[in-house]
Amino acid sequence: MSIVNDARAIVKKLLEEKQLDGVLGLSCKHDEPVPFVFESPEEVDSLVLEPKWLFAKLAMNIVRTSPADFRLGIVCRGCDERALIELIKRNQLDEKRIHVIGMACSREQAEACLCTRPYPAIPHLGEKVQGVDPREEETAKAFLEGETIDRMQRWTKELARCIKCYGCRNSCPICVCVPCKLEDDLWVRRGEIPADMVSYHLIRAFHLSDTCVACGGCTDACPVGIPLMLLQIAMRESLAKEYEYEAGTDPGRLSPVLSDLFVEPCEVYEEPGWPDSFKVSDET
Amino acid sequence: MMKDLKQDSNGVKSEAGNTPRVIVFACKWCGLIGADAAGRKHAQLPAGFRVIPVECASRIEADAVIRAFSSGIDGVIVLGCHLGGCRFNAANHRTAKKLKLLYPLLETVGIDSKRFLLSFGTAHEHHQFEDLINRFYQGLQRLAPMDAWSGSYLSEMGQR
Repeated sequence: MSIVNDARAIVKKLLEEKQLDGVLGLSCKHDEPVPFVFESPEEVDSLVLEPKWLFAKLAMNIVRTSPADFRLGIVCRGCDERALIELIKRNQLDEKRIHVIGMACSREQAEACLCTRPYPAIPHLGEKVQGVDPREEETAKAFLEGETIDRMQRWTKELARCIKCYGCRNSCPICVCVPCKLEDDLWVRRGEIPADMVSYHLIRAFHLSDTCVACGGCTDACPVGIPLMLLQIAMRESLAKEYEYEAGTDPGRLSPVLSDLFVEPCEVYEEPGWPDSFKVSDET
Repeated sequence: MMKDLKQDSNGVKSEAGNTPRVIVFACKWCGLIGADAAGRKHAQLPAGFRVIPVECASRIEADAVIRAFSSGIDGVIVLGCHLGGCRFNAANHRTAKKLKLLYPLLETVGIDSKRFLLSFGTAHEHHQFEDLINRFYQGLQRLAPMDAWSGSYLSEMGQR
C-alpha cells in the first residue's frame, strides 16, 4: 500500500470519528493539485501528497478566520511542522486547534531542499530518511566556502538579479510581521530595483536568524533562482553549536537569544589584550 | 563635511587613499562617557568616526548595523555596559546574543567580520576607548573600502 492510500485512510478515519472539523491537504480533483480543506470523508479520495507545499501560513489564516471550536488537521512535512511550532511559539496560532499528520520526505526531496531534517517529530506516513548536510553539497559549497572576497563576488552577482518581488518574504511561513520593515523607506527604499543588496536581503535574512526552519520556501519562490536559504545556514549552525537549539523542534523552548546570559550562556568572543572586550567570565 | 572624513588629523591615509568611515553606537552610560573623556583629553584618534549615543546598547538592532553597511559605512562598533552591569535588566545580554548572530551572516555574504565590533564594558576610561578605536582602524585599513564594494555592484547593474 502506498503512502497516499495510508494518508487517505488516516484522514478519512479522523473525519469520520469527528475528531477534526477539517483537514488541510493537497487535492487533485482537476488534474492540478491545489490546497483544499477536506470536510467530509467522501472528498478525501482526491487527496495527494506531492508536490511539496507549505501549509503553515495557510493553516494560520484558516484557523484565524474560522469559528473558535473549529479544529484543523494538516497533512504536512517536517519543515511545515517546524514552521507551525514556530508560529505557535509566537502566539500566531492556537496549539489546541491544530492536529499535525506528519509525513516523512523521500531522499530525493531532501536532496532537492538541502534539508537536514526531512521528517516530522512523529512520522505518520512514510519512512524516515537521513538528512543532507548542506556543507557537503557542491552547489551550496560554492556559496558558503572559500575566500571572503570570492564569496562577496558570488553573492553580489546572485543578489544583483533580484527583481524585488517580495516573494521570499511572502512565501516564508514565519514572516508574519505587520507592518514589515522591508516596506519602510527608512530601511529599504521602495520602488528601487534591484533591491539594495545589503539592506534588503540581509535585513530579511537576519529577521529570521533564530526562526528559520530551513524549509526552502524562499529559494523555491524566487523567480530568478537566488539560493536565499543558504544565507540562513551559517546562523542556524551557530545556534546549534552554541545553544544546541534548532528552530521548530521543541515547542516548549523559546529562542535562546531572548534569554540572558545567566540562563543560556554563549561562548564569548575575546580579543587578546583588549581590556574587558566582550568578556563575560569575570562578570557572571 | 564629507571631505573631512577622507583624511584623518594625522594625515594618515589608507591604501585606498581615504580614512575608513565608522559609526560608533555608544550606550549613554558607558561607551559615551568613555568617548567624551577621550575627547576632553584630546586623545590622538583617527578622524572619520561618528559616535551616536543611545540609551542602551539593546536599542541597536542588527537592522541598524546592516543599514549602515548598505550606505557605504566601512565599519560599525556597538559599545555597551559591562555584561552584568546593564542598567536595564540585563538588556545588553540580549544584544550580545542577537548581534553575535550577525557575524556568521556577514561572513557568508563576504563582509569581513573585522568590520563589525561588539564590545561590552570597554570605554569607561578614555584610554580604553582610544585603544579600541585605534585598533579597529588598523584592522579596517587592511580591507578594501566598503563603498567600492557596493559601487562595483551598482556599476554592474549600470546605475550611478
